[in-house]
Amino acid sequence: MSLYPNYYGQPSYANPPLPPAHNGFHHPYQQQQYQSIPPLPSTQSLPVYHVDPVTFRRDYASRLAELTVNSRPIIQNLSYIAQEYTRFANIVAECIEAHIRRVPPWMKLPAFYLLDAISKNLYDPYARHFSAFVTPLFLDTYQVVDLSTRSKMEEMLLTWRTASPTGKELFGVPPQVSIERGVWDTTGNTNSNLPPGSTITTPQVLRELEFTLSQKERALQNNPYDGVAQKHITVLHQLRNLVETGVSQDQLHLILSQLRTLLRNTPPQVAPPQPVIPQPAVWPPSYAPVASQAPAAPYPPPPVNAIPPSNPAPSSSAPSNIASLLSTLVKAGIVSANAPTPPPPTDEKVASPEHSEQKRIKSYRQAVLAIPVKLNSNDITRQRPPIVDLLYDRLTVQCKQCGIRFVDNDEGKKSMNNHLDMHFRQNRKANQNVGRGHSRSLFVAVEDWVHETIDIKGKGRADGTRPVNAKVAAAAEAAKREAELRALSVVVPLGEEAEMKACPICKEVLQSEFLEDVEDWVWRNAIMKDDKVYHATCHAEAVTSTSNLAARLRNEARGSRSRSGTPESRVTPPPTRVRPTDVKAPSLSPSQEAKTTGTKRKVDPDDLPLGHEHGGTPPLKKLALSPSA
Amino acid sequence: MSTENPENTAESAPSKEWTLEPETEYRFELDPGSSLAIKLVRGHAEIFGAELVEGKTYLFGSECKAAVFTWQGCTLEVTGHPSTEYVSEETPMTAYANLHIAFEQMRVRALRDVRGSPPPTDEPAASQDPPRILVLGPENSGKTTVCKILVNYAVRAGQGWSPLLVNVDPGQGGWAAPGAISAASVFAPIPTYSPASPLGSVATSAPTALASNALVPLVFWYGHAETKKNPLLMDRLIRNLGGHIDDRYLNDQEAKPSGLVVDTPPSFASGPTTDVHRQRLIKACVEAFNINVILVVGHEKLNVEMQRTYGARITVVKIPKSGGVVELEHHYRERIRNNQFYSYMYGHIIKPPAGITNATLGGETLDDFILSPSSTVISFSDLTIYRVGAGAMAPSSALPIGAQRVVSEMQPVIIDPSQPGSGLLNSVLGLLAPPNPDENERYDEELLDLTIQGFIVITNLDISKKRMTVLAPNQVSLVGKTAIVGTYEWQEQ
Ligand SMILES: [Zn+2]
Ligand SMILES: [Zn+2]
Repeated sequence: MSLYPNYYGQPSYANPPLPPAHNGFHHPYQQQQYQSIPPLPSTQSLPVYHVDPVTFRRDYASRLAELTVNSRPIIQNLSYIAQEYTRFANIVAECIEAHIRRVPPWMKLPAFYLLDAISKNLYDPYARHFSAFVTPLFLDTYQVVDLSTRSKMEEMLLTWRTASPTGKELFGVPPQVSIERGVWDTTGNTNSNLPPGSTITTPQVLRELEFTLSQKERALQNNPYDGVAQKHITVLHQLRNLVETGVSQDQLHLILSQLRTLLRNTPPQVAPPQPVIPQPAVWPPSYAPVASQAPAAPYPPPPVNAIPPSNPAPSSSAPSNIASLLSTLVKAGIVSANAPTPPPPTDEKVASPEHSEQKRIKSYRQAVLAIPVKLNSNDITRQRPPIVDLLYDRLTVQCKQCGIRFVDNDEGKKSMNNHLDMHFRQNRKANQNVGRGHSRSLFVAVEDWVHETIDIKGKGRADGTRPVNAKVAAAAEAAKREAELRALSVVVPLGEEAEMKACPICKEVLQSEFLEDVEDWVWRNAIMKDDKVYHATCHAEAVTSTSNLAARLRNEARGSRSRSGTPESRVTPPPTRVRPTDVKAPSLSPSQEAKTTGTKRKVDPDDLPLGHEHGGTPPLKKLALSPSA
Repeated sequence: MSTENPENTAESAPSKEWTLEPETEYRFELDPGSSLAIKLVRGHAEIFGAELVEGKTYLFGSECKAAVFTWQGCTLEVTGHPSTEYVSEETPMTAYANLHIAFEQMRVRALRDVRGSPPPTDEPAASQDPPRILVLGPENSGKTTVCKILVNYAVRAGQGWSPLLVNVDPGQGGWAAPGAISAASVFAPIPTYSPASPLGSVATSAPTALASNALVPLVFWYGHAETKKNPLLMDRLIRNLGGHIDDRYLNDQEAKPSGLVVDTPPSFASGPTTDVHRQRLIKACVEAFNINVILVVGHEKLNVEMQRTYGARITVVKIPKSGGVVELEHHYRERIRNNQFYSYMYGHIIKPPAGITNATLGGETLDDFILSPSSTVISFSDLTIYRVGAGAMAPSSALPIGAQRVVSEMQPVIIDPSQPGSGLLNSVLGLLAPPNPDENERYDEELLDLTIQGFIVITNLDISKKRMTVLAPNQVSLVGKTAIVGTYEWQEQ
């Protein structure tokens, strides 16, 4: 008996959003250039079977055994099953690893494409499972395959740098760095800051250049009037010629770091829209999994579309990149200042992709203005409002998470896409925040509120994304706090340099390093409390979650609790700051004699955070109290 | 019509299916402590203008009274024990939808004007003004609901509108806590789930799925439930808020066509015509927010009065009130206010009916609404506390011998927590934003013109040690800050 209905391998594919491969659609796995995998269509049609792990493993392994060539139906079928059975994610991961290790070299790449597809499209929990073994698996495979397979693997590896839903390394930084080091034999890390001492080879730069170029060309294909992408491509071609003719190690360094910056700020390009049907009436496949998604199943939107919040659109960040790329390269004498750039696109050309949107807006406005309603009591109660047309029929695409509607045109799809990314990021943030306490934010200051401007005029505001200062500020604040914590260090006591010390919270070994300027060994991201050394970040988080736990306990108790006793006996959520009574802050106190504000108050201009010197006040003591029962 | 679900079991709360005809609504009311889950099974439905997603379960609690309306018909699955539930065919939605369309026309023309497009020849005389709407009505007329529907329809139109919602009713918190006068830009529909958050929710550190659960308002602290307590202060705060809104529009011309909607206190609509304070405050709103439309919810006398006073330059429209609006008793309002302070600090805790999992509260996961405030013990001298006006006076016995009571309504009076009868225990205070850093720009009554950063509550006073315990929404430093106390008190119950 088979666990799965026999839709796999059928010539007419059961899920309509993706046209079959013979329909003029370029099969990504057969193309010369490596491309991102199209996201999975809806799985709603998949019947769910209740299976035991043993049966599942046997069945998945036997299906995997059929993946002998680069077959898209098989890869997609195996991905659907992985999507449907995330509870068996460990089994899926084990099967794939075992399969890749077992099969002959020429059969390994298709299985890597499967691993790649599952990681990018499903991400959680698969990327986590794969990251445990992806480094040795990749490098061992790389060693035994032929040159053309190697180059495909390199292309795939480069996409992993930014393929996580937040635009970061798909399997995390350590695996990415280790694999790249193994492949290119450099000590380069994946961010744009290349270590000064490392050696970079010309083939490596060419490989990354080709990859960047292919991404840009794809971007241009998707949006033929993207003048920025055109410029990029021109410069990249120039660069390629240069590198091929040979440049110095310094210049290679410079080019590589610029390339990586550029790539980092370019969202991965998905396959170009298929050219056969000029205006498909269906919602593009990339949204299907989310749009048809039941709220209970936490399947993230396709990560290929997720871009970090700081780069809402490629075009918004790209100009400065190309400008800086150009100017740096010009300064370094790598490219000529008068590089031929394509003429700027004419207004007419720019306008045409938005034509349907303009038409829509015009039609909406005409429809609204044509409604003969007068603003008086009689008219508003007598008229029959065509509200269904305005609020439902014109906006046929609905976000299944919050109910906001979008137009079924390119512009609407773009908004919906951004909107889903927003939900996705927030869901991820919510998942990451489990166990941490949340609290009400302060209200904004007048200046911030007055300047709470909207990112794109008249566009995308109704999509639920909010151009918030407060949120951005809060995120920046959190990042700053984390950076501050990580910067904390504890000097390793004399004689203990050789000892391995573990953080009592996460049990991981504290990393020690030798600081040149203090000429001492220190533990990084460390804090000393009661003679114990913790990770500063672990400690801070523990303090917060204790406070959150206390709050939760209070909340749960609240329903049944009658009025509690004296205020003193009440449990208040720590950390509580206790200020010693003998500490006076004379400069802060308004004159006690002045009962009214007849005189000007003298107030410290800044709200210095607690613990800083404050007008002669000694540092305040921070005490983290654990909740008493 | 409704049918009992045959699968009802002892462990789960009862669930019923309601099939609604087009243009009808399912109304429900909840008792304290009970909750309700509603799932849209088929069709389209909306709650006060915010559309529901098919298949998603929405949770309601904290004595919520609301209605699920459908333009095209729908089927709902309702789980829980509402104290009242029925379907009504009489709704004011036709009128509200027509209002929305009229306002949408104004927005379209206003945007055209801002962008410099010439008006079409067929309507040269039409106004280019965006809708700036003042909603007036007596107690229990559903003003807040009207505001919410109008704003929700505007943001749903797919036109990128982001109207400002202004709350000048200090008796209800809107998106935060009572006692405030505030304004927030709305980008996405405002959900309904608890009367403690009738107009959405102020941002927290938690991520939210809906923008309206993370509003960023500008907030002034009035501090009293009744407008008559200090009408001069109300007047000043309203005009201050209006000034900042003007600045905001100057900064972002394209935000202006979206217009604004002002929710008002019931006291604006009741009381004798000769009540100078009432008239003065309505005038303050009209001027501060540059009102061009006044909506009077179901109140003929007020409609006549407004027509007479403003009819010459402002469109005054009497609009029907919903039959679903119920008379609210005084104690109910008290409970809702307490709940607003509670949820400002701790978020919402609503237990779903038995058997309901995966419900969302206003579109968010339940846990994201649980907040941890911060309780801090500080020295009396750390925080400077004022009361505003004569009502702030300490009892005569507390005055030094020979001292005279000469305090105007607007004078900030410093409060010494160590004096008996300071009235600070359990008081809600508005924590003021920092004053102008430039000392030369300071003035005596500056603190009346400062916005607030949040609300704090003094939960304990230790006079002998000169220390007090302060509950704050987060770990904001209170040292060196100034706060204003009003007449709101709140104790955790
Ligand atoms: Zn949404
Ligand atoms: Zn640790």
